[in-house]
Amino acid sequence: MTKPQKIILALPKGRILSEVKPFLDGCGIVPETAFFDDNSRLLQFKTNLPHLEIIRVRSFDVATFTAFGAAHLGIAGSDVLDEFNYSELYAPVDLKIGKCRLSVAMHEGEMAKDNPRQWSHIRVATKYPNLTRKHFAARGVQTECIKLSGAMEIAPSLGLARRIVDLVSSGGTLKANNLVEVEKIMDVSSRLIVNRTALKTMPEEMQGWIGKFRETVKAA
Amino acid sequence: MNAKNHPSLLPNGLLDLLAPSAENESRLIELFIKNFSAFGYDRVKPPLVEFEDSLLGEGPGQALSRQTFRMMDPVSGRMMGVRADVTSQIARIATSRLADNKRPLRLSYAADVLRVNGSQLRPERQFCQVGCELIGVDTITADVEMPLIAAIALSKAGVQNISIDLTVPTLTKHLYDEMKISADETESLNDLIEKRDRDGVAALNTKTSALIVELMDHDNLPKIALPKKAKADIEKLLKLQSELRAALDVYGLQDVQITIDPLERRGFEYQTGASFTLFSQGARGELGRGGRYDVIVAGKSPETATGFTLYMDSVLRIAPAFSPAKREEVKADADWKAVKSLQDQGVEVVRKA
Repeated sequence: MTKPQKIILALPKGRILSEVKPFLDGCGIVPETAFFDDNSRLLQFKTNLPHLEIIRVRSFDVATFTAFGAAHLGIAGSDVLDEFNYSELYAPVDLKIGKCRLSVAMHEGEMAKDNPRQWSHIRVATKYPNLTRKHFAARGVQTECIKLSGAMEIAPSLGLARRIVDLVSSGGTLKANNLVEVEKIMDVSSRLIVNRTALKTMPEEMQGWIGKFRETVKAA
Repeated sequence: MNAKNHPSLLPNGLLDLLAPSAENESRLIELFIKNFSAFGYDRVKPPLVEFEDSLLGEGPGQALSRQTFRMMDPVSGRMMGVRADVTSQIARIATSRLADNKRPLRLSYAADVLRVNGSQLRPERQFCQVGCELIGVDTITADVEMPLIAAIALSKAGVQNISIDLTVPTLTKHLYDEMKISADETESLNDLIEKRDRDGVAALNTKTSALIVELMDHDNLPKIALPKKAKADIEKLLKLQSELRAALDVYGLQDVQITIDPLERRGFEYQTGASFTLFSQGARGELGRGGRYDVIVAGKSPETATGFTLYMDSVLRIAPAFSPAKREEVKADADWKAVKSLQDQGVEVVRKA
């Protein structure tokens, strides 16, 4: 039979982590205490389960680590999954957390002057160049994306790009920067992701985890 | 510093294979071909480049059109393509030069291919494919023979924790056709299946999506109330699984794992029947794949075939290295007799400068 292998679970840093906690509880995973300490410099954490370890990385990197098989399981937003479109990832469970939407936003004043039907080329500041290009290409508009890692909201007022594509949850940040949401590209929620090779070579182990996460979603 | 002009910089996805990898690769190829021969496969060697219409015709070649480098042949004035896969070349040989040979026809090959783009998991654009094609017979035994030979070869190469994932790529198409679903539903189902997004499929809440959820869960495949053709696909898959298991056990390969994923279709665009993907725990991505397809030649009725190919770059990363022969240094003025006598004992001799 195949040898037991160490399983790595990749979790996203930041705000979403508190929403992930109930899933760890539901699956009976107790990470070492340093995991919940934001000041800890550790990146890899032991758990109560001897063959399961957790890594804590940026949300975009959860998808990358898992796609390349460096992690076997992970939790990643559907925005990240669609942006990368990694062929080696399966996303079997909608965890129904981290809900928001990916939208196009611009200054209110600019909207009146604009006729979207006449666009052939637009410039957009975003963390999601692939999704943005695909979205506008579908209606025949070529997009020049300026890739930023954060603070997209100040791009329009400083003249970097008139439009931004970013995640919106309450809309507070947009409002504070005099921006309005003009169009929704997609709804976003977090998914349990599984590496394809891991699922094919360790079907029982992986299906076991998928089942536990699914039960936890139902119980919530 | 001008990276563009550095003499050792190679184009993306191309690399120099040095010692001991180059030696390992050729020994592995030799080992694989020997194992194929044990089942009666004859090695053939098609050219690196051929006319694009024969390379990219219907069937196996078609899917690789966008991955094929093309060039103009100044002699004939026609377009040529550099092979991006070997299967279509073997199919061409089988239906032309070997058209009159008795069926089934068993051919093997080891050949480098060149692709326009690498993939996420395989950035290499040139890599070696080693494989078999079995032409002219459509039986379960032939379908078993392919993954069996592949598993034997990999196992002899020392690859551990081998896993064979079986599928029948026509199943979803049969299901869609028989359920008469719309193009829109087909498209959204395909996207969701690709990601194995069970919850997304369930949320569509149609008759077909309910069946697909059952296929994803596959607790009890034979009991799923599928329409006729899709049901036949599942039955074939289960039969293949049990016969392959029995065959692997005969060869002492009890540790080779068989899994079933009836919804797997990626990269099986031209397959028409039982297909499989080879994995090994800890290896990044696939080690090889194979399946049943039609050899289509203009003006003739299609001929059935099955085959598989192993990706040497992936195999090389996971297979243990061959142990090198003993090597000794001799003085610059050592005489040839002394050198030969060491070589006769199987020692490699390096003369110092």
